[in-house]
Amino acid sequence: MEDASAEEQQRLTYQQKLKAAVHYTVGCLCKEVAADREMQFSKQTVAAISEVTFRQCENFAKDLELFARHAKRSTINTDDVKLLARRSNSLLKYITEKNEEIAQVNLEQKAKKKKKPESGNQEAAESVAEAEAVESVG
Amino acid sequence: MEGQGAGFRKELVSKLLCLHFRDKKTRVSTDAVQLMAEMLRIFVVEAAVRGVRQAQAEDLPCVDVDQLEKVLPQLLLDF
Repeated sequence: MEDASAEEQQRLTYQQKLKAAVHYTVGCLCKEVAADREMQFSKQTVAAISEVTFRQCENFAKDLELFARHAKRSTINTDDVKLLARRSNSLLKYITEKNEEIAQVNLEQKAKKKKKPESGNQEAAESVAEAEAVESVG
Repeated sequence: MEGQGAGFRKELVSKLLCLHFRDKKTRVSTDAVQLMAEMLRIFVVEAAVRGVRQAQAEDLPCVDVDQLEKVLPQLLLDF
């Protein structure tokens, strides 16, 4: 019983850390919008956006997991993310374009690595390590 | 590509998603993580910009929680 509550404590602290990280990024983005539109955001507003974003992540994550499982996969891919963006046409269009941009950039990076054998091996090892890290998180 | 402007770090996005998976075997491809980072960025910016528009419509110098509350329902429906 004590272990269970200690585990729960750990999970809550971990969540707090993630929330703080989200809050920081939200703050940065709000600053950019504020500068661009010449409008201020109250601290409570930034905190509220941060909270909503964190909660929305839960919905996103659960949906993505279900989409992948429905397609009989255990790895979520970009098709699942596109399905997530289906509710607004402009959002879907933007996400689809971004997906192509990302694929293009990754393709170019791979092409560069092939041209440089020495440093390429190091970068390839790093990207493999990053992929493994992404998979092993959680 | 995404050098300009703030955004969600890939590691953070990955952790945020993995926090809520029900199956331990569920993973996310690196491309999907990048795309989700973009999705979250848009979510935040959309919330902020709609808040700004609301404050402007109400002739206010600052976006407060009252303005955010008004734009939140439609925002959540759009996502």
